[in-house]
This record gives sequence, structure tokens and C-alpha cells, in this order.
Amino acid sequence: MSGFWPAWLGGVGLATVAVGYHLASGRTVGVSGAWDRILHWREERRVELADEQFDEAAFMAALEAASREEFGESGGEGGSVATAVLVEAEAPSPGPSKKRVPHASGPTPLVAQAAFLLSIFFGGLLAAVLSGRFELRADMGPDFAAIVTGGWAMWPILFIGGVLVGFGTRLAGGCSSGHGLSGCGRLQLHSLVATATFFGTAVVVSTLLWKVI
Amino acid sequence: MDRRTKIVLINVLFGTLLGFTVSNIGFGDYGQLNRMFTFQDLRMLFAFTIGVALSVVGFAVLAGSRPTRTKVHKGIVPGGILFGTGWAISGGCPAIPIIQVAGGYLPALVTIGGVVVGMYACRSLNARYFHLDRGSCGL
Repeated sequence: MSGFWPAWLGGVGLATVAVGYHLASGRTVGVSGAWDRILHWREERRVELADEQFDEAAFMAALEAASREEFGESGGEGGSVATAVLVEAEAPSPGPSKKRVPHASGPTPLVAQAAFLLSIFFGGLLAAVLSGRFELRADMGPDFAAIVTGGWAMWPILFIGGVLVGFGTRLAGGCSSGHGLSGCGRLQLHSLVATATFFGTAVVVSTLLWKVI
Repeated sequence: MDRRTKIVLINVLFGTLLGFTVSNIGFGDYGQLNRMFTFQDLRMLFAFTIGVALSVVGFAVLAGSRPTRTKVHKGIVPGGILFGTGWAISGGCPAIPIIQVAGGYLPALVTIGGVVVGMYACRSLNARYFHLDRGSCGL
């Protein structure tokens, strides 16, 4: 079965997603993070609601009043100490990546994470149908049958594999998109270590499945 | 357009592009994946490497990103080993089973079920025993 993209086109596509998403949103792509937040939507929703109810103007007014009480009106040309403190707090910190990238505040809304996962499904469906690869089937294909198993053992193996993927990605704090693309793309040490570890392990296990088992 | 609508639209656009790209590279095909990890077929490996290399250039030039010595917390290596093992045997990273189902491979729904259970387990075990600040993909 062929019809897959040449390597260069795939690479361009992946980089467009990783870099383009960051430029558009100020955030980074991470599929396992999106999953994790959707699964824990109850807790995440509570946090979102608390954020929505948080009245920033009232908080700043209270902070200013408290500062005035504590430090008094210093009067000078620059205004009170309180205002100076507030101005300083609001000034953007000089970060390494502020060039032309919008500043994202707070976590991605849950509804956007859900839209992201559904869109991955839609994009995959589009690709499978347009390339003629789409075929409804109750197995994982002849290669899976040859390399892993074709019998009933497929079900527990897929499940256990899934558990390892879910547990492992959250323990490592990211997967092939978050660490592999976005993290390695920004040359972050922990993402490089994570990618080397999961890729190296997958090479060893895949070779065992292919040659030995 | 408010910020919420904007981020939803951005996610729809890039989610679709990610699903489309990953499926067309062949990551949803178990045979392709196994041949990549065993270096029998280097096409997908090159696709991923080119993707990372272009991302490095793109992040540096367009977003001004610089290499960062981020903290390698205790969950990184064990998490990576578990994930790599799971990926090799089930053919799924968190995005791939979605793409497999979208391509008609219905048993990948079971992989998704496993991912869901694994993620629940990780969060509750971490809260109870590990107490790691795992971050999220170095955000």
C-alpha cells in the first residue's frame, strides 16, 4: 500500500503545524496535553469558571488601596508608590520569544482542545478518503497481524499499548507532537531527552517484535 | 472576533492540517511505523527529521526561540520508556489512534480506551505518590 507523501512534504507539513500554530496562537501544539485536559474536564472546567469569575479590575483596585494604606501617598511627579508598583507589574517581561508572537494568557480553553482533537480526526478522514486508503475493517491490517498478532490477542495488546502511551506521555509531560516537534523544534533540553528516550525505546521494542517475537 | 473564538478556529485549522499530514505521511499504518523504527524504510524517519529541522529554523527565525536548558524532571525518562514501548506495540501515540480510526481501523478505538485509562491513572497516581511537576510539553 503506497500513496504516502514523500519525506520532504511530510516534513514541511509537520513544521508548518508546529511553527504556524505557535505564531498564530502564542501556544505550542501538544496532543497528549489536549487529551489529558479533555479527560479531566470537570476539574479543568472548575478552574476555567474560577478564572472567569475572577474580577481583575476589582483585584487591582483593592491592591492599589492596600498599597496606599501600607506605603502612603508618596506624591512625587511619577505618582504614588502604589501606581509605580502596578505599572511595574504590568510591564511585559523581556522573554526570549516575544518577537511577533502573540502573547497567550492562561491555558487553552477546553472547547478549543476538544475542537483540536475532533479536527485531527477530520483531517485524518479527509486524507484517508482522498487518497483512497479508507477502508472500514475490524483488524489493524496485515502488517500488524504479521508483526504482532492477528488473533484475539490483538485486543488486549492494543489496550495495554494504549495504557502505556497514555501513562507514559503524561508522566513525561508530552508526546511526539509536544516534545518531538514543538519541544525539539525550540531546542529545549528536557524535550530532546524525552524524544531520544521514547524513540530509542520504540526502536528496541519494534526490533524485538520484528526479529524475535 | 473574541479571543475564545479565535483560538477555536486556530485549533480547527491546525488540527485538521496535523491529522491530514500525519495520515498522509503514513504514521497511521502499523507496517510503515514498524519499518521506520527498525530502519528498514527511512522515508517516515526523514519526514519526522525534516519536520523537526524545519521547526528549529522556523522557531528560531520567526519566533526568536533560543535553545533552553530546561529542567529534566524525574518523569521524563521513565515516561519516555513507557510511551516508546506502548507506541511500538500498539502503533499509537496520542494522535495516531484517532487517525487510525479515521482511516477505518476500528480496533484503534480500544487503543484510545487504553490511552484514556493510562492518562487517568497517571494523574491520580502522580497526585498520590509521585508529586512530579510534569509540566505540559515544556510550555
